[in-house]
Amino acid sequence: MRPGSESDGLRIVDLAKRYGAVVAVDGLDLSVPRGGLIGFLGPNGAGKTTTMRAVLGMVRPDRGSITWQGRPIDDDARRRTGYMPQERGLYARMKVREQVAYFGQLAGMRRRVAEARADAWIERLDLTERAGSMVQELSGGNQQRVQLAVSLVHDPELLVLDEPFAGLDPVAAETMRRIIAERAAAGVSVLFSSHQLDVVEDLCDEVVIIADGQLVASGLITDLRSASATRWLRVRWTQPVERWTPLEGVIESFDGRTAVVRLDRDADVAASIADALSAGPVSEVALEPPRLDEIFAELVGSGHLRSKRTEAGS
Amino acid sequence: MIWTIARREIVTRSRSKAFIGMTAVLFVGVIAVALVQVFINSDDGPRQVTIGLVGGGAEAGETLELGNEDLDPTVEVVDTVDTGEARLQDGSIDVLFDGEALTWKGLPDFALDGYVRDSVQQAAFAQRAQDLGLSEADLAALFAPVELDEVRLDGGDDEFGVRLAAAGVAGFATFMLLQVWGSFLMMGVIEEKASKVVEILLSQVRPSTLLGGKVIGLGFLALVQMLIFVAGLVVGLLLVQDIAVPGSVWGSVPLSVLTFLLGFGFYATAYAAVGSMVSRQEDATSAQLPVMFPLLAGYFIAATSIGAPDNLAVTIGSFVPFTSPVLLPFRAAMLDVPLWQLAASLVILAASTVLMLRFAGWIYRFSILRTGSRVTWIEAWRNRRDPVL
Repeated sequence: MRPGSESDGLRIVDLAKRYGAVVAVDGLDLSVPRGGLIGFLGPNGAGKTTTMRAVLGMVRPDRGSITWQGRPIDDDARRRTGYMPQERGLYARMKVREQVAYFGQLAGMRRRVAEARADAWIERLDLTERAGSMVQELSGGNQQRVQLAVSLVHDPELLVLDEPFAGLDPVAAETMRRIIAERAAAGVSVLFSSHQLDVVEDLCDEVVIIADGQLVASGLITDLRSASATRWLRVRWTQPVERWTPLEGVIESFDGRTAVVRLDRDADVAASIADALSAGPVSEVALEPPRLDEIFAELVGSGHLRSKRTEAGS
Repeated sequence: MIWTIARREIVTRSRSKAFIGMTAVLFVGVIAVALVQVFINSDDGPRQVTIGLVGGGAEAGETLELGNEDLDPTVEVVDTVDTGEARLQDGSIDVLFDGEALTWKGLPDFALDGYVRDSVQQAAFAQRAQDLGLSEADLAALFAPVELDEVRLDGGDDEFGVRLAAAGVAGFATFMLLQVWGSFLMMGVIEEKASKVVEILLSQVRPSTLLGGKVIGLGFLALVQMLIFVAGLVVGLLLVQDIAVPGSVWGSVPLSVLTFLLGFGFYATAYAAVGSMVSRQEDATSAQLPVMFPLLAGYFIAATSIGAPDNLAVTIGSFVPFTSPVLLPFRAAMLDVPLWQLAASLVILAASTVLMLRFAGWIYRFSILRTGSRVTWIEAWRNRRDPVL
C-alpha cells in the first residue's frame, strides 16, 4: 500500500449493528489516518462503544466494512491494536509488572520482550515502585495508569480508547493527554471517545460526532466551528450600562458591564457593534465561533450540555 | 496464545494457598493409605502377650502357653489377685486369670479373650476325658475337626477389597476433582467477567482461545492431582499380597485417567459456560446446579452400588456421558466389563465432549460480554448464531 493513500489507517464504511429492536449503529462512516488523532463524540447510547467493539472484533457487524491499511481488519491487525474499554478491567490479584507483560505476550510478544516493554512503560508512568504490587492494592489513579500501560505495552499501531479521561485526576489526565499526543505524533492512529469536550478540543484537530448510530458531523474542529450557524458577540463597556437590548440575536448574559449575545452567522455584526457603542464607551469587543461543546449541543441537542460561555468569557 | 493463557492459569493457580494445601493433603493422604496397606500386609508373626495366672487356674497354664498363629503368649504366675491387678495396672501383664474370672485393665482384648477361654475349655476337656478314662487317641477322635467346603455363588471374589480401592480412586477422585476444578474454572470465568478484564482479553484473542487456554491450564493442574491419586492406587496394588489383582482392575487405572481427561473437557467447559452467564460470584451457586446435578447423580449411583455394582443404573450410567466419567471407571474396576462396552462408552463420551466444547463455546461467546442480569440458557442458545462477539 502506497503511503498516504486513502486506504491508509483505519476505515469504517457503512457500519450497522442492531441488537434485537435496538439500533446501535446505523450506516456509520469513519476513518482515522496514520498518525491521525480523532475525537469520537456522541451522547450516551449513540453507538460509540459498539463501533469501537466492532473494530476490536468483539461485535459482529450486520453490515459494513472495517479495514486497516486497506485490508479487512483481522486478528493480526487487532494484535497491533491497543484498547482501553470504557469499563476498566484488570486482574485484581496479579502483580502490575506480570500483568502488563502478560498482555504484551497475548499480543504476540516474546516473554522477555514483553517484560522489557512492560518495565519501560511502568517507568514512564511512574509505577516502578508499585511494579511488584497486586493491582488491587493500588489507588484508583494508579490502576488507570496500569490500564494505559496494558493498552500500550505491545507498541500498537492503532489505539482505540473508550473514555480514556473518565475518572482521571488532573495529573493523570495530563499524563494521558501527553502520551496520546506523543503516540499520534509517532504515527499511531488514535480513535478516542470522550465527554470532556474541552480536552478533545485541546488534544485533537479532528472529530467525528454521532447520534443514534448515525454520523452527525465530522471534520476539523475549526471547520465545524466556522460552519456553525452561531456566533458569540461579547461586548465590554468601560462603565456600567443600565440597560441594553441588542439589535439582533439573543442576550445570553448581561451583568451591567459585559454582555454576551448569540448571533446568527449571517447577522450584521457591524450594526450590532455600533448599537453597543451607542449605549456607552466600549473597551472590548469579540466575535467568536462557538466552542466544541456548544457545537456538540447544537448538533445533538443540548440535553446534558449547558453553555458555559458566560464564565469562560475571553 | 492459548499456551500463554494456559501458563498464566497454571502459574497463578499453583501459587494459591488453596491449591498448595489441597495437593499437600492429597499427597499426604495417599502416602498414608499406602503405608497402612504396607502395614496390614507386613507379616511380623504372632503378637506377644503376657497372661497373669493366679494359683487357682494353674491346670490351664500349660495349654495357655501353646499359643496360636495370632498370639504368642507368655504365662506368668502371680501370688495373689491383688498383685495381679497391680501388674495389670502397670501394664506388665495383659490379662489376669484366676481360674474363674478374666480381669482386664480396661476394655477386653477380643483376640486374647477368645484365646484364653478356648485354652481353658480345652484344658477342662482334657481333664474330664482323663477322669472318664478316655485315651489320648479317643480324645483326638472326639475332637477331630469337621472339614466343611465353602461354595460361593459369586465365584469367590477375594479381590473385592482390591476392586473397591480401584473403584474408589476411579469414581470418587474423578467426581471430586471434576467438581472442584469445574468450580475453579467457573470462578475464574466469573472473575474475568466481573472485573471486565475480559473485554481487553477479547480484544486480543478469540473467545475460543481464551476458554481453551483456561481449560488446558486448569486441566493440567487437575490432572496432576488425579495422577497423585492414581500413583497411590498403583503403589497400593503393587503391595497387595496373597490376592492376584484382576486384569480389569489394572485396566481401570489408565481408563480412569482417560475418562478423567474426557470428563474434564466435558464438565469444565460446561462450568465455564455457566460462569460466563452470571455477572457476580453470588449468582454462581444456583446457576451451577444444572451442571452439578448430573455429576452428583453419577457419584450417588456409584456410592449406593458398592455392594452390588452389577445393576442397571451403573450399566446405563456408564454409557451416558453425564455420568460415565464417574461410572465407567467405577464399573470397570468393580466388574469385568466386556471390551466392546468400554470402547462404546469411551466413544460416546469422547463424542459428547466434542459436542459440549462446541455448545459451551457458543454459550460462552454469547454470554461473556453480556452484563447485567443473568443470561438464560434459552437466550444463549437462541442467539448462538448471532453472538455479541
